[in-house]
Amino acid sequence: MTLRSSASKLWIGLGRMDGEWRYMLADRVSFIVACVMLLFLLVTYRAIRKNVFSLEELNLDTAAAMTLLLAATGQTIVLLSGGIDLSVGGMISLGTALAATRFGDRPGTEAVWAILIVLIGLAAGIINGLIITFLRLQPFLVTLATWSILSGIALIVLPTDGGTLPAGWIAFGTASLVGLSSSVWLLLALLLFWGWFRKTRLAITIRATGSMENAVRLSGGSLILVKMATYGLSGIFASLAALYLSIQTGTGLPTAGNDYILPSVAAAVIGGVSLFGGRGGLVGTIIGVAILTIVGNLVFVLSVSSYWQPIVSGVILLLAVLATSLTEKSVRRGIV
Amino acid sequence: MKIAGHYRSIVLVYAATIALLLLAGAMSPGYLNGGHLGSVAILAAFVGIVALGQTFVIIGGGIDLSVPWVLNGTAIFVTLFARSHNGPLIWAVPLLLGTGALVGLVNGLGAALLGIPPIIMTLAMNVILGGIVLLLTGGAPTAPAPSVIRFAAVGRLDGFPVVLGMWAMLAAGATVLLSKTAFGRHLYALGTSVRVAEFSGLPTLRTTVLTYTISGLTAALVGMLLAGYSGQAYYGMGDPYLFTSIAAVAIGGVSITGGSGHYLGVVAGAFLLTILTSILATLNISSGTLKIVYGSAILAAVSLASGVPPGLRIGWRTWLRKSSFTGS
Repeated sequence: MTLRSSASKLWIGLGRMDGEWRYMLADRVSFIVACVMLLFLLVTYRAIRKNVFSLEELNLDTAAAMTLLLAATGQTIVLLSGGIDLSVGGMISLGTALAATRFGDRPGTEAVWAILIVLIGLAAGIINGLIITFLRLQPFLVTLATWSILSGIALIVLPTDGGTLPAGWIAFGTASLVGLSSSVWLLLALLLFWGWFRKTRLAITIRATGSMENAVRLSGGSLILVKMATYGLSGIFASLAALYLSIQTGTGLPTAGNDYILPSVAAAVIGGVSLFGGRGGLVGTIIGVAILTIVGNLVFVLSVSSYWQPIVSGVILLLAVLATSLTEKSVRRGIV
Repeated sequence: MKIAGHYRSIVLVYAATIALLLLAGAMSPGYLNGGHLGSVAILAAFVGIVALGQTFVIIGGGIDLSVPWVLNGTAIFVTLFARSHNGPLIWAVPLLLGTGALVGLVNGLGAALLGIPPIIMTLAMNVILGGIVLLLTGGAPTAPAPSVIRFAAVGRLDGFPVVLGMWAMLAAGATVLLSKTAFGRHLYALGTSVRVAEFSGLPTLRTTVLTYTISGLTAALVGMLLAGYSGQAYYGMGDPYLFTSIAAVAIGGVSITGGSGHYLGVVAGAFLLTILTSILATLNISSGTLKIVYGSAILAAVSLASGVPPGLRIGWRTWLRKSSFTGS
């Protein structure tokens, strides 16, 4: 049997499948496409450069990707609830600005301020959630406004790039245990967190809210608590991203967060998280982050202008969204 | 017809603008003299013209986040092409306005034809444009703006700013488009409900694409004017206009979910925002505080426009209890 005929048989088979199966496949299509894309990129990367599949490369790449991955984790949770959080940019900027100005030389103040920054992220997120539910405004608009407000505060805390972080704090970035860098351990911790979180009642309610908000309201769920938790988690992850960025750069960057807004959404969407809520998970987002990171590496290795990176990432994002919206459309058409 | 429907909110915005103007006059004596008011009006015109395109997009139920780099790219290329001479403007201005419109066209097609959510489509477009502009210029500094553009931006005829005349004509055009044409009626219908508009056989695709095209055009126009105003183009000059254009639209009483509002309100919104900014500037505040003001202005305007929240209407305790988490 030729490939072509078996493919067409599969397609016809899809047409006859029960609704549930078709939905499940539609759920996975963009995830599978992302995996194939990652594989293709890895092979290309391997062809250009040696030692791609080494522990060293893994350590370096996870470190390079960690800030984005942390921001994208929060974004994934928000996207699952059917919202979007543009304020992660402002929160990352504010976080690094605070870290650069408030961390003293004593380890004690570092710990206190690190916790305070995470709490500020949580508070900012909770405020987002409150405004969105209480005033019934669209998430993008509210978080657009709080993005502006948070980045304004960041510029007041630290008007220009500068400040140095304590050496002990920066050392965390290069620390390693049994050959794995701190970033790889963070990645494992994130996976563990997700393995636990995705089965909690909160996560299930968030996903349900994204699929059908009214159903959650009618079945007695509290939208206000769900949204507060959703955006609160996003705020926490954004401030963790800020802390990791401060470890990596060793300085305060009061406008750096803006560069993470679109990529955080892009990573999740490329990995199969639906912009319309309810669909996807962290594993997809990790693959999305990996794709964006390898694109960045390829741009670097091919020594073309670094300005190609946003262009390529933007185009990949649009293609991914397009693929998702087309499959969702065709599934809906098949069912109705 | 549509103006009458939004009569009250528009009158309110104008009243608030005049009140703020009087407050500014009371705070600093020189504020209300003609020369100074003219320079405030010039700044308001830049916000107002970008907000014109944004108004059309938002009434149609979309949003244009690609404004910063359309504006910035146009500013950079007009100074690069002209190299401080007026001659090259003959082809550079139409070319760049056309490019701005083309970017808008692509945004509109992506949103309306391909079904990509407008936030993602235009945000991605902004990032892609930023990459393309930097790729083409390499981040090189640009030449000073040619004198014709500088005159268009800051020049005055008998003390009356040229750019205000331009803005007035554009506002008149926008008013006619919104109130007197089939396109305007389709736009309000589209913003109210895409589904109903589609089932009614309205040209939804054409209407949406046109709104984004207008937005690309106005952002490109302001890009050139701003290059003239600053005397040169610099990287990052478009960034504030993302927030100010949306804030002016929201303050101007246009529903951010689409379907209602009028550009005449947005004109007052642009003035109000600019006066507020200039008052704060006299208080010597930083760019950080300005960002906080823009964000708060957007939030305040949209929450006022959305009316009394259900929580406050029935008493927030009752509301919270009603929607409290019952679990399984």
